[in-house]
Amino acid sequence: MVEQKVVFDSGNELAAYAAKQINYHVMGYYPITPSTQVAEYLDELKAEGLHDITMIPGDGEHGAAGICYGAAAGGGRVFNATSANGLLYALEQLPVQSGTRFPMVLNVACRTVSGPLSIKGDHSDIMYTLNTGWIILFAKDPQRVYDMNICALKIAEKVMLPVIVAYDGFFTSHQKRRTEVFAKDEDVQDFLGTYEHPYHALDKDHPVTIGSYMNEPDLMNNKFQLHLAMEQSRTVISDVFTEYGQLTGRTYNVAEGYRCEDAEAILFALGSTFDTAKVSVDQLRAEGKKVGVITLNALRPWPKEELYELCKNSKAVLVADRQDSYGAGGGNMTLELKATLQDYRSNIEVLSRVYGLSGRDFYKEDGIAMLNEAYEAAQKGKAEVKFNYHGHYKGRESDEPQKYFDPIVGEKANPGITSVALDPNTGKMVVKGGMVKDSTQMPKRWTAGHGACPGCGIPVNVNMLLRGIEGNVVLLFHTGCGMVVTTAYPKTSFRVSYIHNLFQNGAATLSGVVEVFHEKQRRGEIPPGDDFTFIMVSGDGGLDIGMGPAIGAALRNHKMIIMEYDNGGYMNTGYQLSYTTPKGAKSSTSHVGPAQAGKAMFHKDTAQIFAATNIPYVATVAENQPTDFIKKAAKAQKYASEYGLAFIKALSACPLNWNDNPRYERSVIEAGVNSCYHPLYEIEQGITTITYDPETRNKKISVLEWFTMMGRTKHLAKPEYSEIVDGIQVEIDRRWAQLKAKHENPLL
Amino acid sequence: MAAKITLPVTNPQGYYEMRLESIGGLGANLSGKILGELGALYLGLNSANFASYGSEKRGSPVKSYIRWCAPEQEILINSSIETPHLLGLFHERLAGKIPVMAGVKPDAVVIVNTDQSVDVMRDRLKMHGGTLCCIDALNLAIEAKTRVNMVMLGAIAKASGFIPLDALEEVVKDTVGHKYPAALKSNLEGIHKGYNNITVKRFEPDGKYPYQEYKELERDWGYDNSPIGGINPIYGNTISNDLTASREGYIPIFKKDACIHCGMCDTTCPDMVYQFVKGEFKGKPSMVNLGPDYHHCKGCLRCVEVCPTDALTAALERDHDIWKDHVRNQDLVLEKMEFEEVGPNSWMRSESNIENELKY
Repeated sequence: MVEQKVVFDSGNELAAYAAKQINYHVMGYYPITPSTQVAEYLDELKAEGLHDITMIPGDGEHGAAGICYGAAAGGGRVFNATSANGLLYALEQLPVQSGTRFPMVLNVACRTVSGPLSIKGDHSDIMYTLNTGWIILFAKDPQRVYDMNICALKIAEKVMLPVIVAYDGFFTSHQKRRTEVFAKDEDVQDFLGTYEHPYHALDKDHPVTIGSYMNEPDLMNNKFQLHLAMEQSRTVISDVFTEYGQLTGRTYNVAEGYRCEDAEAILFALGSTFDTAKVSVDQLRAEGKKVGVITLNALRPWPKEELYELCKNSKAVLVADRQDSYGAGGGNMTLELKATLQDYRSNIEVLSRVYGLSGRDFYKEDGIAMLNEAYEAAQKGKAEVKFNYHGHYKGRESDEPQKYFDPIVGEKANPGITSVALDPNTGKMVVKGGMVKDSTQMPKRWTAGHGACPGCGIPVNVNMLLRGIEGNVVLLFHTGCGMVVTTAYPKTSFRVSYIHNLFQNGAATLSGVVEVFHEKQRRGEIPPGDDFTFIMVSGDGGLDIGMGPAIGAALRNHKMIIMEYDNGGYMNTGYQLSYTTPKGAKSSTSHVGPAQAGKAMFHKDTAQIFAATNIPYVATVAENQPTDFIKKAAKAQKYASEYGLAFIKALSACPLNWNDNPRYERSVIEAGVNSCYHPLYEIEQGITTITYDPETRNKKISVLEWFTMMGRTKHLAKPEYSEIVDGIQVEIDRRWAQLKAKHENPLL
Repeated sequence: MAAKITLPVTNPQGYYEMRLESIGGLGANLSGKILGELGALYLGLNSANFASYGSEKRGSPVKSYIRWCAPEQEILINSSIETPHLLGLFHERLAGKIPVMAGVKPDAVVIVNTDQSVDVMRDRLKMHGGTLCCIDALNLAIEAKTRVNMVMLGAIAKASGFIPLDALEEVVKDTVGHKYPAALKSNLEGIHKGYNNITVKRFEPDGKYPYQEYKELERDWGYDNSPIGGINPIYGNTISNDLTASREGYIPIFKKDACIHCGMCDTTCPDMVYQFVKGEFKGKPSMVNLGPDYHHCKGCLRCVEVCPTDALTAALERDHDIWKDHVRNQDLVLEKMEFEEVGPNSWMRSESNIENELKY
């Protein structure tokens, strides 16, 4: 036994702590609830100088998985954590990782897969990985998240397969427990030893080709090798668990049961439910009912023998699945248990219940209800209801739903706040109107009662844009605060049609809406004159992960508007860095500490990226200049109705994570503009015009002046960060000078 | 490590259970974490802590759960706490429409942050029975230059009847004190003030108020009557939300006579509060500002900053009868509606932000 110490931490913290002790070479990651904290804690520990894992924030989970693959192909020890749609977005990378046999460890804090979007915990994500060729361990509690993270790497390297450590999102990822960990990092590293992959890309004396193009007959053999490795892993897992147990006193099996030896009826459930169900078992045992509960600590390789051994004496097993394989008569655990029992020619009755979707709590009473159903089936030798959901309800008979508003159509939608016409002499659009006072006439397409934080900039910017948009509107929001605070079911803040699809796929989705509109109108299915303005609204996060689809939409030049509200971070999930977060700013994935000075890279210049796609209109706006904002919105509408895609970017305040006072946000935005961090300009048909020049108005301030207004960047005023601030100032000045050159020369 | 503790009371499964109900920004999550850590590392207990997987957004409802048991016992239950032995209410407004008192049995201890008396609070909470403790945590926190959660922790320790003050001090020194050493003295003072200033009264279940059962949320819409696909055809229905609970004391006050109807407040208000209609100003047709709809005002005071006249000023909500100046949303087409009292929406936030709570 080697020395252990007691901590009080959550599953996510412990996954990060294990990674810190292992000291992986690289973590490639992309934040997604509820796994985000793994990267956050690891970053915090890095800022303290407690490990030297290179932390790489991907452009999305697909990119993050690619970063991991590359690092593994370079022979590194590699780590990642994800959930739900992040896992699905990365999914195609998983069979490549296993098929080309590069070990790594991926933590999956299990969460509901969209749609509708839910952030809570169930197993609908992890079950997609069953066919990927990864070993899958399942940790029921925070202690096991820690232990299995250490075992996982050893198993992975022994059989050269990647390993997933799965655990319940929130129930385990966020629950803090009294947990034992190795007191010394060296003991973890001694247990793991060093590792050298037989083939990697960084051995100059032994060049290798990784990622062959392989058809029949060879792929059959490649997959058979994978099959053999998976079979070999059965003994490896068992050996590693045993060796780990000798060091720590904590020993695990791939399957485990509670009071199953003489049980007539058994509940089979994964994750945190197993423990809660033990209480249900005890309660029914006290009533004289012979019941038990089983769980699996590994899903791949499937522990067929161990599972059968646990339930072979029972008469009925109820499988509680936290997901459904729709149309198959059960979730995946039901199907796999049934397959196992078929192998043994068993006549144990199997019942299946889909429960706990989207984090619906599993109380001991739920366990009792399920065990009673299984018990009854055991007594009768037959289940009355083989398959059902548990926890759904019919709904209450109620009156007709309320109607709060009339739709915004006709004259109401066209108050004539702005009018736009092309000036044939300049080739530019000229906007009349747009006065703030008059613009109060525009009905709010995004109405009151939404849940944004006090002082939030998002509704301010979206409604400012919409003042300049006459007529009918279809809105599409990327995932982000704007979407979350408006559309929590069964309510919505939108008085016009609104769509939310996936985090990164909004531009593609709206492209489809735009084109079906034009096609339907061409076919006479929508009358002429029934026009719409199509607007996609995205945070800077949505335009990190969704940059590809947004560029695609711009290159196809669909008649639509893309508006970015840039608050410089993934605020919705607790302020992780985005590519537009200022360099040096602190965020929950760019901590400030003795070994790290906030975010390492410069902020992304999204407007110039869109300018490079040669779309007809690009503009930047700020809420402190409302008339300019409204006029640019009107121009964007004109371009989007006649020429193609228009892009508008607003700097948007986030009092919660900028850590400043909501009351003064408009001055903070103004300072962002005056520092030229967010210069105001527009690009019409390729010609750049600066619309507000702080220099000529004697308003120019240093970027540090702006930084000191926000808690997230205030630390940069300290002398130790002067070099970083100077670097940022040089970069901002360079971008501003370039913009001025473009303003002066229409050819640039 | 302080002396080992034997739990004075447990449920049939052997757990002593605590539930903290709060509004985001008051630090209930951090309190839950501190209590969890106190049990596990200072009182020699086994301990678990988790939060309602809701939001840390300022102003939204938050729940934190702590489960303690004997050190040799495993903690098996992973579901929310239904019938707490100890309930901490960090904000008296929670006594509104949120069922904070659900599952509170006559053997429970309830601690409320309020400047009201125990008798008044019993009525406001519609408390069936149990021990009620009131603590003016807000004012005590201001006096001690600390935060509400530190005072509440002290009050919880005292009200529990068994959590030793010195152990609480230790855990606060090692956690919060380690990260923010400059604030330690005032944080400890806050704890002492909480420990020493509770008023306690025991209420027998005298039938004045019925026991409030803990119930899982169930909506009118179920699988049989909700529109397919999660589609919501009731456009704009967040209008029936009342966001009053998001405010932190301050409110804009509108003086119509001073208003020049420029519309600037409407450009900065994130909550679509100001009601503009067609009318006349200085004898000319103009859009005119009727005033604010206070149901949706979150008290950010952005409007006060942009107002070019003194038509909008900041004031303490408790000094004004705002509902006499309240203007109903002018676009509504229905006569009457029921408001639902809510905070900003739920969304799990990073726990890193717990630290932010300490900076205010």
